[in-house]
Amino acid sequence: MKPLNVLLTSAASGAAALAAAYALSVAIHRQAAAHSHELPPYVPPAAIASVPPAVLAKTGEKLYFENCAHCHGVDAHGDEGPDLHDIWVSNRRIATVVKRGIKGEMPTFATKLNDTDIAGLIAYIRTLH
Amino acid sequence: MDMDPALWAKMHGATTHFPIAMIFGACLCDTIALCFWHKPVASALRSAGKYAAIIAALGSLPAVISGLVMTHGDMLGEDAPLRWHHIFVWPAFALMISVAVWRGLTREQVSRRGYAGYVGVICVLTALIAITGYWGGELLQTFP
Repeated sequence: MKPLNVLLTSAASGAAALAAAYALSVAIHRQAAAHSHELPPYVPPAAIASVPPAVLAKTGEKLYFENCAHCHGVDAHGDEGPDLHDIWVSNRRIATVVKRGIKGEMPTFATKLNDTDIAGLIAYIRTLH
Repeated sequence: MDMDPALWAKMHGATTHFPIAMIFGACLCDTIALCFWHKPVASALRSAGKYAAIIAALGSLPAVISGLVMTHGDMLGEDAPLRWHHIFVWPAFALMISVAVWRGLTREQVSRRGYAGYVGVICVLTALIAITGYWGGELLQTFP
């Protein structure tokens, strides 16, 4: 085998390995989004049990514009913060990030938003496709 | 019986250190072989470096798979330490596979100049692996 062919084959192997890892990540991500493995599972507050999802999402939309649109964009397609459409994370993860924030990237909303507010935000975010 | 929720994190920890050690070993053997190119020991060191690089590439597969399952298929990550860990791990993984394939195909039929180029690449790979490991350690601080 000529040296150039060896070099090209090696580079192609590396690229193929990356492509395989990407394909695997997409497959795992889809599975994880459908069946979150985070324990314990997210439990919405009892106060919203009787609230219709559409009403909850409407409340969440209002809270979104007041608290989140500044960084995630008014259309939620991202600005300083990431795009929130079709996000592949569990409700529990969304609630945790809203409450705790992300160090150096996103402030905590634990004192500003209660569990009912966060449930509304999650309902609104789930409407974004 | 419930599955241990930290199983894949433990698997990732158990599988990552083997390829890391192998690449460090391969880098060391190949660098010494280059420095002592005409000595009889150089041939043995080149062989050791070759097999260490190939075994490291094979060992990186379970490390990558366990990491992807652990992060639920998140290839980049949204938080800072995980993102940095992934920014360095993917070039390192691709380079590790390329290096192993190159070593397997050349069968020691390479000039000293070509070998020097290879040693340069494996040094870059070792640095990438070291930085990946550093950010992996930072992740443990974030999620103890």
